Amino acid sequence: MDWRRFGFIALIILVLIGVVVMVGATQVSPTVIVVSMLATTISVATPLTLGALSGIYCERAGVVNIGIEGMMLASAFFGWFGAIYLNTILKVAPMPSLLLGVVAAILTGGLLGLLHAVLSVTYKVDQIIGGTVINILAIGITGFLNRQLFFEKGSIFGGEVPHAPGVLPRFHIPLLADLPLVGRVFEQQPIAVSAVVLVLVTHFVLFYTRWGLRTRAVGEHPRAADTVGINVARMRYANVIIGGLIAGLAGAYFTLESVPSFEPLMTNGRGFISLAAMIFGNWSPFGAWASALVFGAAQALQINLQFFREQIPPQWAFLQQAYIVGLVPYLLTMVILTGIIGKTTPPAADGQPYEK
Amino acid sequence: MRKFLLASISLLTVVTLLAACGPKPTEAPTEAPAELSVEDCPKPEVFCVGLVTDVGKIDDKSFNQSTWEGVKKAEAELGALVQYIETTDSKDYAKNIAQFADAGFDVIVTVGFALGEATQEAGRQYPDVKFIGVDQFQAPGSEVPNVVGLIFPEDQSGFLAGALAALMSESGKVGAVLGTDAVPPVWRFGEGYRAGAHYINPDIEVTTVYHNDVGFDKTFTDPEWGKTTALSMIDKGVDVIFGAGGKTGNGALLGCAERGVMAIGVDDDQYYTVPEAQKVLLTSAMKLLTPGTFELIKMAKEGNFPGGGNYVGAVGLAPYHEFEDKIPAEVKAKIEEIDQALKDGTLETGVPPAKPE
Repeated sequence: MDWRRFGFIALIILVLIGVVVMVGATQVSPTVIVVSMLATTISVATPLTLGALSGIYCERAGVVNIGIEGMMLASAFFGWFGAIYLNTILKVAPMPSLLLGVVAAILTGGLLGLLHAVLSVTYKVDQIIGGTVINILAIGITGFLNRQLFFEKGSIFGGEVPHAPGVLPRFHIPLLADLPLVGRVFEQQPIAVSAVVLVLVTHFVLFYTRWGLRTRAVGEHPRAADTVGINVARMRYANVIIGGLIAGLAGAYFTLESVPSFEPLMTNGRGFISLAAMIFGNWSPFGAWASALVFGAAQALQINLQFFREQIPPQWAFLQQAYIVGLVPYLLTMVILTGIIGKTTPPAADGQPYEK
Repeated sequence: MRKFLLASISLLTVVTLLAACGPKPTEAPTEAPAELSVEDCPKPEVFCVGLVTDVGKIDDKSFNQSTWEGVKKAEAELGALVQYIETTDSKDYAKNIAQFADAGFDVIVTVGFALGEATQEAGRQYPDVKFIGVDQFQAPGSEVPNVVGLIFPEDQSGFLAGALAALMSESGKVGAVLGTDAVPPVWRFGEGYRAGAHYINPDIEVTTVYHNDVGFDKTFTDPEWGKTTALSMIDKGVDVIFGAGGKTGNGALLGCAERGVMAIGVDDDQYYTVPEAQKVLLTSAMKLLTPGTFELIKMAKEGNFPGGGNYVGAVGLAPYHEFEDKIPAEVKAKIEEIDQALKDGTLETGVPPAKPE
């Protein structure tokens, strides 16, 4: 594992939190600030982490996937629709409705992953175009169905958006959540927890299993992999679909874990930020996770500096401009991409269709 | 087989996109009375009203929808033929307005600050059409004779919300989660809220957080950000939150509902638009878009259209609903008193019309 990169990223997060503690300490106790910063960081980072993992599966197998944004949006919609349909029409209890909604979201992502695999592996369509198709398709389908299903007079819900069955509940992570002061950080919702679990699982799968070795082989040198008998197309199909399933889980975060409502375009570019996090983390699960946390911390910084606007010392007055603070994650991305903390290297065959 | 599959996938894609994009012609007949159609609009005896939304849907349970209801009232009471176009991309403002103007519509309503320039431009280009620009302040010196800006004293509405928040807060910390302050009405809501809270209690801590870090088209459609921001405020002891910024603000209301913290909605009575937050919703700082829009359309029909300037609509607080019994009588009386003082001008919010540079 690339400890230098990981350390550098952790340092950035500490600096971002440190800035807010320094500014706000006269107003609110440092512990409260740190806990609230961490809580914001983790919730913002959840869909980004999952999106980045989705990208890692695809790209490690040699398929560029810029359709993650669209996969998230479509899954957010179908997960939400599934949960509401079960709860309102079929009178299923709220909890099972939500869980089945999550399943629907994951399957939606998987289906779009399959579409991407068909386009990019079987038909060797330019992978950027394939991803763009998915993004546009998702915007169109969700906008259209949202209108038809929820607002048309003759629709199944009679033109009224029904009461949502709520969001996935927070649960106590044993031991950690009982810690004094910082315990609240560990009162998390299931998708946030599964994002962290999936980071560990992905790391293990990619670097310690035969499957992972084969995945990386078809992403680095598909011809070599082919000559030793690995089915390149099948590996790519499988990984792109897995990536889609994970993007689906990221979509479920928006409508089933964060807020109980769907809005057109609600993913707001987070799929693309996930890709930045993936690159930032050099296509490794831990790196991507840490980078997603940096983006989360930057968002937390943006919110908190506005909160403590009146406490910002005059010589730092430029920090009062929310626009400048909002730029932090993008500036960081550019700095990282210049190679200051080591070169990022994509898989060698990333984006190239394999011709037998 | 391969080619066939590829062809059918692309065909499916195209068909879905076509179905999902653009104004849906099939809706037209349901909006108009059977005997009238858009072809009749150029006739002088047929009164046609068109509405162009900002990027967003006509049924957004907020801004676009309330304005549309004003237009529909004109259909019911004035016998107007009404239609709308939903803008999907901010580059299409001018095109969408022109579509109505070219079809011979008499009045065109454009919804939102962002359409201001396109509306003025169209006003110059089509001098015979009357334009109503919702939330579009017509600056002195640049008025167009056939364009009227329907504006609202958001600062007064925000002031009332802030005063109520300060009266109800126990922790001495109140907050607001807003869209971008580059939109003057949003900024005036925020600053009015601050002024109102300080009017009640000069020592109260008021924090306003604007969603400035994304583009215009995203700042009002990000409930996840709104909720995250609200939770971050609640963590630091804020116990009343004003959510003002379309869906982003709705996210803040949902965050309050999750933690059982008092919330105040915006624009409409959000008791009905965010039912999940009913238990915590104190009230909503309303802009009465529906009557304002209807009044102006009526004036246009009757020939006393106040073009070339601004028309100030009404604002006010929504009913307290579930808090009716929980808000002490003296708080209600105080709010009543402030509302009256703001209306007759004895109390001023001190908020300028736009954010100083």
